[in-house]
Amino acid sequence: MAATLTGSNTKFRDDLIRVLGAERVMDSTLERHLYAKDAGVYTGNPTVVVMIETTEEVAQVVRAARRHGIPVVARGAGTGLSAGAVPEVGGMVLVTTRMNRIEEIDTENRTAWVGPGVINLDLSAATTPFGMHFAPDPSSQSACTVGGNIACNSGGPHCLSEGSTVNHVLALEVVTDTGDVMIVGSGAPDPIGLDLRGILVGSEGTLGIVTRALVKLTPNPPDVRTMAVAFPTIEDAAATVSGIIAAGLIPAALEMMDQLMMQAIENWLHAGLPVEAGALLLAEVTGVTEAVAAEAEIITSIAHGNNALSVQVAASPEEREILWKSRKSAFGAVAQAAPDYYLHDTVVPRTRLVEAMRQVYEIGERYEIIMMNVFHAGDGNLHPLMAFDASEPGRLDKVKAAADELVELCVEKGGVLSGEHGIGIEKRHLMPLLFTEMDLDAQARVKEAFDAEGVFNPGKVLPEGSRCFDFGRPVPEGAWV
Amino acid sequence: MKSRFGAIPAADISADQAIPPAEIAVAPTTLEEASEALRIATERRMKVLIWGGGNHQGYGHRVHPDMVLVTTSLNRVEVWEPEDLTIVAGAGARVSQVEEMLADERQTTLLPHSSPTATIGGALAAGLSSYKRYRYGPSRDRVLETTVVTGDGRIVRSGGRVVKNVTGYDIPRLMVGALGRLGLIGSVCLKLIPTPAAAVTVSVDDPAAALAVLYRPLAVLSTPSGHSAYLWGTQAEVESQASRLGGEVQSGHAWPLMRSRPVAWSLRLPPSRMTEGLERLPDSWDYVAQQGVGITECVADQDEIGAASELRGWAESVGGALVLTNGPETLYERIDPWGTPPAGLEYQRKLVAGFDPYRVLNGGRLPGGI
Repeated sequence: MAATLTGSNTKFRDDLIRVLGAERVMDSTLERHLYAKDAGVYTGNPTVVVMIETTEEVAQVVRAARRHGIPVVARGAGTGLSAGAVPEVGGMVLVTTRMNRIEEIDTENRTAWVGPGVINLDLSAATTPFGMHFAPDPSSQSACTVGGNIACNSGGPHCLSEGSTVNHVLALEVVTDTGDVMIVGSGAPDPIGLDLRGILVGSEGTLGIVTRALVKLTPNPPDVRTMAVAFPTIEDAAATVSGIIAAGLIPAALEMMDQLMMQAIENWLHAGLPVEAGALLLAEVTGVTEAVAAEAEIITSIAHGNNALSVQVAASPEEREILWKSRKSAFGAVAQAAPDYYLHDTVVPRTRLVEAMRQVYEIGERYEIIMMNVFHAGDGNLHPLMAFDASEPGRLDKVKAAADELVELCVEKGGVLSGEHGIGIEKRHLMPLLFTEMDLDAQARVKEAFDAEGVFNPGKVLPEGSRCFDFGRPVPEGAWV
Repeated sequence: MKSRFGAIPAADISADQAIPPAEIAVAPTTLEEASEALRIATERRMKVLIWGGGNHQGYGHRVHPDMVLVTTSLNRVEVWEPEDLTIVAGAGARVSQVEEMLADERQTTLLPHSSPTATIGGALAAGLSSYKRYRYGPSRDRVLETTVVTGDGRIVRSGGRVVKNVTGYDIPRLMVGALGRLGLIGSVCLKLIPTPAAAVTVSVDDPAAALAVLYRPLAVLSTPSGHSAYLWGTQAEVESQASRLGGEVQSGHAWPLMRSRPVAWSLRLPPSRMTEGLERLPDSWDYVAQQGVGITECVADQDEIGAASELRGWAESVGGALVLTNGPETLYERIDPWGTPPAGLEYQRKLVAGFDPYRVLNGGRLPGGI
């Protein structure tokens, strides 16, 4: 094991204990091991783990870390999948789960000030009495934190109509690289100056530490209709998705799952999924009753035009809930196929969905990996899930190679590396697939503007050496006359 | 020097009389030409003003340029994928022309285009959104990819041509409202919205009550002459929503038109403060207030610096701003167009330095003289 807080680091440890007390500064082997991973497949090695409760504490420990040259890796619930919160090069893991206060719900402006450690679903539960919810709804929403959602710009099924987390964050309180506290953004629209709020959301903890957020709340729709449509093939389901978008409808959600995934879910949830079908499309429309009825009718007719086997409409809130439970708990159900899984996240233009899916299965066959699929079809956001046994020698490497190939095929189709999980460690080596040296250099300049010394989450998002582009001819003033 | 710029066609430039005097004006037709122009400008430490349709030049501190870079020849619609609901267009493409094209497939960028010459790049650089924002959010949320030319002539692409993306830092979003300080927005990929079948305008007495009774209307606007709700959707949806309001229903959207006046302000408030904000407006100002959004666009005949300063002081005290968006040059010398600069100025300054190290592009336009 590498760095512990011994030797020259003991002074850093003393500084941390002075701010937080000994019980919130954890560096036993077990404690460090517990915070070495997120929900993905990469492992790091924390030097120390600190449990933070206030903004002032964050500011003080960041200043201490900077003084001692220790990297700072922020972490929420650890449900991330791209290793954004994995302390790859050691450092201080700063855990925000205790900053979980919903400070203020403003029903008139439909906003709330919340701590980064507030659990996503808890926020929606707290605002339900006011007829509102927090729109981003990642599958991990019963565990993941708002701070983590902000770091990754998380999505979820309903981001088809509502947009990702960044559309729902109005202002942020941030501890900067110098350990200062600033509030960027505003409860009023179009704050003046550059949109620092917008660049901080999705920056995976590399630009600053969010200590409070002003989030937008979304009114609950007066009516909702959730439909489960069974198709003989993935192609038919995907054609229906394209047909719905082309018809000018943007439903609240359009989710798809393949037969393998349906079977896995059905085996433990008994939700009554049509397991003989080749694919299931989960479509939800929300709005006023008249709109919901009309849109559901259009979707049904497009589905029938694409060989739908059955259209099941959730008749009660309980039926709707079980359909969504089947969607959001899909990843847990995979355990019956294999002990480990690698959940992927890439995006293609939604019109390329069918061909992309065909190639996903081809890659699975070639690498002899079980490929199960449940994904945000309306956004073109694929989530191939590779079930495997990590104890088999060389298996994980094979899975990672297949994962890279999946990204390559999506980029070839005009897609991108990630739709909602982030880049972290997982995909930074693939960034050059999408961006030129000059593009990456510009992104590295963003990092440099906020954190020139590399205090925050070093090594994440951008591949090493991104900020090295020597652009063109030198431009000394007056040298060219 | 002339011969170097001679390589860049300068069509269209003399036609626009509004362009301020400068040593030279260039109208690049490709991003490579724009890059060359900006590299030369950087070498010579020239001040460059980016000019689209000339509609939003009142935003921010005034620039006295050595070079005017006209974007109107960067006007190609590169890709339009109706089934993907995305479009890639040059910065100089006119919003009105793009919208006309998109209407064929009943799609829209939702960008404002009250002026026929407004360009996509200009609207985004100024950070503008249309009245449909209450329902669909700001324009910033629909910018998927940008290709920009930085102050020192680097061509930088960020984002991607898909509707959902977290690959790298969200530079496209940062470009919106940056007034060109981070680079010339050369081309941009926008997420499109399908245009629903039915549209009506309903007059209402109480905008707050209208917002409470409606589910996600397109807009509820207030002007000195009254309030209207704007609905959009299927025929059945629109009829049902309109019937809840009880006011006079007019088919289509009758958007308010403000007569152009010499001075324009944008009052930005938390939505709950709008009623108070409207009460505080000087009587002589005309306005359109976007209820539930928090923006009130105002126009006036006179400077009225005293009244404006007082209104600004109050707006800032409740977390808002009063931004001067148009007026005679002398007014910009007497009052800061932005008001009190926001937090994090040093980070804004460092970001700009990364994209425009020699302060070539639209220097000083942003709050704090950045």
